[in-house]
Amino acid sequence: MSKLSKICIALFSLLLIMMLISCSAPAPQDLEQITLLLDWTPNTNYSGIFSALEEGYYEAEGIELEVIEAPGSVLQMVATGQAHFGISYQEEVIFARLSDLPVVSIAAVIQHNTSGFASLKERGIESPADFEGKRYGGWGSPVEEATIKALMDNYGSDYNQVDIVTTGEVDSLIVIERDADFAWIYYGWTGVEAELKGIDLNFIELRLEEEALDYYTPVIVTGEDLINGNPELVDRFMNATEKGYRLAIDDPATAARHLLTNAPELNNDLVSASQAWLADKYQAEAEIWGLQDKDTWEAYSKWLLENNLIETMPDINKAFTNRFVR
Amino acid sequence: MKKSLNIKTNLPAVFTILVLLLLWELLCRTTAIPEFILPSPSAIIYSLTTNYTLITSHAITTMIAVAGGLVLAVTVALLAALAMDRWLLIKRALFPLLVISQAVPIFALAPLMLIWFGVGLAPKIFIVALVCFFPLAVSLVEGLDQVNPEEIELMQIMQAGSWMIMQQVKFPSALPYFFSGLKIAATYSVLGAIIGEWLGARSGLGIYMLRAKNSFQTSDVFASIIIVVILSLLLFKAVEIAGFVVMPWRREKDLTVED
Repeated sequence: MSKLSKICIALFSLLLIMMLISCSAPAPQDLEQITLLLDWTPNTNYSGIFSALEEGYYEAEGIELEVIEAPGSVLQMVATGQAHFGISYQEEVIFARLSDLPVVSIAAVIQHNTSGFASLKERGIESPADFEGKRYGGWGSPVEEATIKALMDNYGSDYNQVDIVTTGEVDSLIVIERDADFAWIYYGWTGVEAELKGIDLNFIELRLEEEALDYYTPVIVTGEDLINGNPELVDRFMNATEKGYRLAIDDPATAARHLLTNAPELNNDLVSASQAWLADKYQAEAEIWGLQDKDTWEAYSKWLLENNLIETMPDINKAFTNRFVR
Repeated sequence: MKKSLNIKTNLPAVFTILVLLLLWELLCRTTAIPEFILPSPSAIIYSLTTNYTLITSHAITTMIAVAGGLVLAVTVALLAALAMDRWLLIKRALFPLLVISQAVPIFALAPLMLIWFGVGLAPKIFIVALVCFFPLAVSLVEGLDQVNPEEIELMQIMQAGSWMIMQQVKFPSALPYFFSGLKIAATYSVLGAIIGEWLGARSGLGIYMLRAKNSFQTSDVFASIIIVVILSLLLFKAVEIAGFVVMPWRREKDLTVED
């Protein structure tokens, strides 16, 4: 046999083996295989999910949950049925709904928006009025500019005096030290990290400045098809998830451990501190964990419309439901 | 580059790397650069040793996608090149598509791959294959074109069929070109797999990098960069060795194609 034929045969057998490997993932017969997509690296926002996973709450509901990190395409994949559930945030859901993606928010993971603008204490940025003459480092999205402008308008400050630079994926703590004066952070992660590093921050909390900006971030989403076709599965998934978040609320130390079991790459100290910080914020004053208020959805949609970030109002009643939290 | 890549020829490169590392370490120790901005080489090595098992398990995931993608790319490139060599019409029909496949921006296409094929192994293999296909196919087509026409004439005089000519003359003379293409493809392949993992995965070096970066552990990010470099070098070397084994008649000469 010639060398060419041998190489061809070798290649095809290799290809066959590859296909067999990729197809032969063992699936227990009694458990339903469900996929959940994360919109970022594992962090304390997701602790309830990892807790439910580690405590066997999903298995008890007959679900084998596969958690995948898919930053950037969660809603597309949930909309096309490539995944059953995903993590997103209110703004993204609104934009997706307006582009006819059939996705629905089924729970607010954290009751209030914990994000805001952080700067080094020595730069003296104590209110949005102090943004004047300063430099902002962000992702370069129109929503950021509109948000900064709206906050400054409340103080009669001039938005045109703010210099905006795109810093993309650069760590915000580096951005505010080196490239810019202030950046948009989630306090529960980046703010806590700054505390651990001994960096003194000024933090302007978004929701305290503008009520409409107290939107839900993150939220758990699923597809309309699943809600209509198999609501019982959504119910079971949410039962287990709710239990997981209950554990994260009551026992942050255990929840931190469960998160670290699933993502040992993370910084232990950061996870523990962040978990302690978030514990009472998942549910806050809401009657139950996960509950979403129609006013919150409406207020932020209106704000987006008023700031020309969207052209029409989304159908709020289709964008979220409280049917699966109890 | 000579095949006899021995310690002597590598020495200057090793020396340069060591000097750079030393300067880097000194810079970190003498200035107050925080570790989360620029970790020192010793911090990176410490991170490598403490996270060894974790990085290994992520590296295995990545290398499975790399291997799958390379095999797929080689198979398709081989079939395409053979068909293009046999039938001119196919070459005219397909060659522009080869160039298009390389011109497609992978960062734009990769998220679509995930939407089409889900978040499993398949889309990563496709992305690696897409990245590797072009250098392989082009070098094979070119290699088959470059064969000495006198050798083919001789074979034809001896009543050899076209398959026999391919086996005995064309393919062996195209092999050096193929291995040049494979070297390029192999060095791209790890990057392709990592791009795939960034967009959606459960494990892999891409996921490890993101987790390290997003929890502010810069030394772990550098550790994963080192692993990616080492894996790419090993793949490159493996291709060289494969070329050495498969083409005994070239062992006395350069392994790469001069063009």
